[in-house]
Formats: sequence, structure tokens, C-alpha cells
Amino acid sequence: MISIKDLNFHYKGSQDAGLHDFSIEINSGEAVLLCGASGCGKTTILRLINGLIPHYYKGELSGSVTVNGKDIQNCELYDLASVVGTVFQNPRSQFFSVDTDGEITFGNENLGIEPKEIIRRKDEVVSELELEPLLGKSLFELSGGEKQKIACASVSALMPEIMLLDEPSSNLDWKAIDELKKVIEYWKGKGKTIVISEHRLWYVKDIVDRVIFMKNGRIEHEWNREQFGKLTSQELSELGLRPTSVEEKYIEEFGKGIFSEDKSSDNNSIQRYENGISLKDMYFTYDIPKYFFRKKKLNAADSAQYTLAIPELDLPRGKVIGLIGKNGAGKTTFLRCICGLEKDCTLKITSDGETVSGKKIVKKCYMVMQDVNHQLFTDSVRAEVMLSMDEENREKADKLISDLGLYGYEDTHPMALSGGQKQRVAIASALAADSEILLFDEPTSGLDRAHMTAVAEMLSALAKDNRVIIVSTHDPELISLCCDYTLCIEKGRLKYLRKCQ
Amino acid sequence: MRKLELDPRTKLFMIFAISLIVMVNAYTPLQMVIRIIVTAIPILLMTLEGKYAAAIRFAVLYAAAFILQNYYLSAGSSGLLSALITGYCGIVAQFMPAMITAWYAIRTTKINDFMSAMQKMHVPDGVSISLAVVMRFFPTIKEEYESINDAMRMRGISMGGGKVTKMIEYRLIPVMFSCVNIGDELSAAAVTRGLGAPIKRTSANEIKLRAIDYTTMVVFAVSTVLFMAAKNIG
Repeated sequence: MISIKDLNFHYKGSQDAGLHDFSIEINSGEAVLLCGASGCGKTTILRLINGLIPHYYKGELSGSVTVNGKDIQNCELYDLASVVGTVFQNPRSQFFSVDTDGEITFGNENLGIEPKEIIRRKDEVVSELELEPLLGKSLFELSGGEKQKIACASVSALMPEIMLLDEPSSNLDWKAIDELKKVIEYWKGKGKTIVISEHRLWYVKDIVDRVIFMKNGRIEHEWNREQFGKLTSQELSELGLRPTSVEEKYIEEFGKGIFSEDKSSDNNSIQRYENGISLKDMYFTYDIPKYFFRKKKLNAADSAQYTLAIPELDLPRGKVIGLIGKNGAGKTTFLRCICGLEKDCTLKITSDGETVSGKKIVKKCYMVMQDVNHQLFTDSVRAEVMLSMDEENREKADKLISDLGLYGYEDTHPMALSGGQKQRVAIASALAADSEILLFDEPTSGLDRAHMTAVAEMLSALAKDNRVIIVSTHDPELISLCCDYTLCIEKGRLKYLRKCQ
Repeated sequence: MRKLELDPRTKLFMIFAISLIVMVNAYTPLQMVIRIIVTAIPILLMTLEGKYAAAIRFAVLYAAAFILQNYYLSAGSSGLLSALITGYCGIVAQFMPAMITAWYAIRTTKINDFMSAMQKMHVPDGVSISLAVVMRFFPTIKEEYESINDAMRMRGISMGGGKVTKMIEYRLIPVMFSCVNIGDELSAAAVTRGLGAPIKRTSANEIKLRAIDYTTMVVFAVSTVLFMAAKNIG
């Protein structure tokens, strides 16, 4: 079905990233997993199969790629559209339409399929992937998991023989991953050829027939499903792969708590921590009752209808707290309220006997956003750090920068850095602002093992300075690596805050 | 199934007609009446498509400006406050009709319908695809802008330290970076699904000009002609 022979490739303007003498044969109906560290060439292979290389991304290419009997280099991308379907990593940027129906029919319309056939294919995909509840909605209102499902459907509607998935789970929670797994199983049942590039191995390990481990653009190892299943976590970690079982263990442990429907505890017994930071009256809702000129003030009495209602919570200092809960449970709202981004939230924060509320909360907290590109504004790393200081202090800024391993990058433009470095610049500016509470929104989505371990170590180090670190995450591995406590939120209510075993 | 959805071509025609109307000052009562009619139609269409909140908001805003301008402000009124109100009402009453129609057209048109309408008008693919991408990008830019705004507020630099240039720079640079990235990924995803194929595009939702489309177009055409002629009729 897919045959790559003696392929050499490197991207235009880049020295190292690329493939070297790469050869692989993938049979019809086979499911193959590509794994390895970031930058090992996984995505490049997928781009070769769907023709984005050499038709969209340019570079130097030698060797041959044949897909379904067609030589990719002599094919046009639209000829491949009905043969190869691709689900991409970022759910935000793979939609062309703004509504779900339009997105599912988009590919077929481009290829000039008869309207009746388009409708038939759409109906088939909708019923088989159980998408009825999502039809007729705006894509901008959907959660990441729902978007990814629509992406799968729009690819599926083209009825291609080959399905490519490029780290499709990076932005998904466990439940959404479970649904994604079902979609992949459904494709497999239909005899499609599937190639998945992924860091999170636990959910694909039972679906794939063959696992290919890549390093620096070459195949290093190849296993079949049984052999791969027998690898110990020790062996996996030596290869720099994420474990195949830890997530399941954690889902077992936390998942039951998160996904069970039982009422959240009323947390009458708030545990106090020595020198902790306490949050009080955390009430917030997105639809505040409005009068003509003023908004109704939020209060405890109406809290039953609020999006977020946590009357009291004590957070321990010097510890890393993992914030868990399913998509839409209110984790992001919780973080936004703590950093003072929701002006109507009635939160009061008490630390060292001093209570702040309203606008002053902003000073206490700092959030490192999921997409750090949104929070880097200036033209150099040093300027970025100094921007956060009340009084600009160059020495202190340089010290913070080198403490975070960015020595030598002081004058670099933040946008020229790698993702992990950008994250550290954001952390440096948080430290420069003397924030006591540091919040991280999904800091490890889409990272390989090495990068994730680095983030975990950094979080633990940051906590040592008597700060409160809260990490919102879907990554059970990150929790197991660095979290001292887990804080679970469900439907905007506190479920528990407890020590990790 | 399809309630009262107008063909995208009709909506384009409405925007065209109303743009002509707002560009000319209204003097005679006939012109006033025409203005009110062409403003009321898109508002009515909005309610028919279930966009009640927006319809009411636009209607109230326009009515307030119109009434204030015509009944409470006279050529003789003076003072800063009335100058401000006059200016505000003048702009709203003058240009609001075009804004309402444009809002209605953008909010109620699906990209697929828009593309097939463009195709039926024999607009080259290059032009219609670019316009479709622009439509697709509005909500994205809004999302990106909002997150950046949040990030700035969190760092307490939303005012840019008082410097206007900094304020703009800090906002624009991240917006531009993420829009370029998103745009790049977006087009990669679109071409793998056959966008740009030299094949006649089809549409699952076939668009057709129906009686209601013709009626609307005639109403707008007649209004425009009458409006333009009114000055001369007198």
C-alpha cells in the first residue's frame, strides 16, 4: 500500500531535521505506530505519505515514495485527497468551515462529488461515528475532543484507503482519547491502512500491528504488537519513550474519581496547611444576571447555579498541585479566576495574613498559558523579563534568565526560541513579577518523554521557593513525576484536594 | 428544513444596495422612509433566523439615534454635550443600516454556501477561496486577540506603560505570529482534502434563487433607485 525506498530528505533552510536512507513497506490494512523523540522525523514521514512533502513543504528529496501504486512526486495533492486522509495535531487549525456540517462535506465538495453522494457519505459517517449531537453547531463552540472527532469525520467522509494521524491526542483528555481510540478501531475494522505518530502510547498499543521506533531520521527498532507489549517500562524509558501502562494505572486511580457521576463532596472539612494560601468565596458564572446598568454581585446564596463555586480552599506552599478534571469541568475557569482574569469573580486570597481581592489578585498570580506564544510580547528575552518588573533591574533579570538555562539567549527574539525555551521565558517573567502563585495550563501537551521530564523537574524546583504551583493537566505521567497533591474539580465544584500516594 | 435562508447572492446584493443608500444624505421624507425600510428588512431577517438578541440590540440602537436626531436635536442646539450627541447620532443613523446588513450577511452565511454562490457568479476560484479564508479567519483572530488581551492583563501591561506604540506593538506581534502559524496549518489541512483541485466544486447544500430572493432584490433595487431619484423628484 505504502512503499518508501531509500529516502533522503531535509527541509529547506534546516540542517539536521530530516530523513536518512529511510525505507519502509506498509501493507494494506496494517496499522503502524511511529514513535520516538520530538524531531525524529515522524511527522516528516506522514507528510511524505500525504504528499505535503514535496508539494507544500519544500526541501531536498531523493528516493521514492509510492502510495497505492502512485508515485507521490508525480501526483498532485488533490489526486491524493481521496486516497490518503490526515488528522492533524492541532484541532484549532485544521478546519476550513465554521460549521460542523460544512466541515464534514468540505473535502467531497472540493473533489466535485455528486451532491447526493456527498449527503449519503455524510450520513454514513455521522451515524457510524455517532456525531448527531454535534451537527449544526459552530466549530468554535466545540471542545478540543469534539473538534478532533469532527476532524476524523471530515477525513473519513472522503473514504480514503489510508488514514494518517499526527499526534492526534496531544490536546485531549482521557475520555476524548477513548473516543478517538474507538474511531481508530472502527477504521481498522473497515480494513483501512493506518499510520499513527504518537507520544502517548498507552491507548494505541493494542490497536497497532507494528511499532516503529525512530531516531534522527532513521529506523532504530521495529516490533510487532506482542513484542512491543512485552517491553518493560525500564526498556521504554531507556529509549526515551513514554510508558505504555502508567496512564492506565492513573486513569484507574483518578479516572474513577473524575468520571464517576456521584455528587462532589461538600468539603466541610477543609484541611489547613501551615503557612498556606487560602482562597475564599470563589464564585463565578458566565451568565451573570444583568440589570440595566449594573451586574448583580455574585454571592454564596445563588452559588448553586454558578459555573464555579468554591467557598473555601487552602493551598499548601512549596508543593506542586496537579489540577485534574475532565474537559469542561471548570479547570480553565478556576485558573482564570485565580489570576484575576474574570473581573466578576468574588475571590479573596489570603497569604501571610494579608487579604487581597479584585484587581490586586493579578499581582499575586501568574499563569503560563497552554499556548505561550500568546504571552510573549517584546523583541528580546531580557526585555520580556524586565517588562514584568515594577522597577527594571537588569542584573536581576539576567540572573533569572541564566537560572532557567537561557544563558546566552538574553538578546534573542522570544519567537525564535523552541517551545520549551519559550515556556521558560514565560516562567522567568513570572518570577520577575514576584508572583506567589504560579499556574500552568497544560504545560506538557504534545511533549515527548525527555521534554516532559524536564518540565516536571522545573516545576518541582519552582515549588521549593515556597510558592504555590498549580498545574492543570491531562497527563497522568506528569502527575506521577512531580505532583505532591491533586486537586480535582467537577462541574465547577471542588471534589477533593489530597496528597498523592 | 431550510427556513428563511436567503441565497448568499441576495445578501451581497443587499450590501451593495445599502452601501449606496448610506453614502447619500437623506433630505426628503421619502428618503427617510426608504432608509427605515431598508434598515428594518435585515433586522426582520435576523429575527427570522433566530438571532433575536442582535436584532433587538440593533433595532433599539438605531431607533434611539434616529429619534434623537430627528426630534430632539435641532440646528440651533449648542454646547459640548449636544455636539457629542449630534455627532454620535449622525454617525449611527447614517451608517448603521450598512453595518446591520453586513453583520447579518456574515453571521448567517455558511462558508460552503458562500463558495458555491461565488462559483455560480463565475468568480474565479482564487478570489472566492481567499474571501472564504478571510471569513474563516475573523473568529480565529478574535479568539487569538482575546487570549493575548488576557495575557496582557495578567501581566498588568494592558496600558503598555502609557505608551501608545508599545500598546499596539505588544498586541499585534503575537496576533500576527499565531495567525501566520494557524494559516499555514490551515492551508496544509485544506489541501490534503482537495482544496484547489481543478475540478468544478459541488455543494451538498445546493443554493438556489427563490421567490423570496427575487422579492428582496427587487425591494432593494427599487429602494435604491427611488432614493437616488428622490432628490430630483423633490
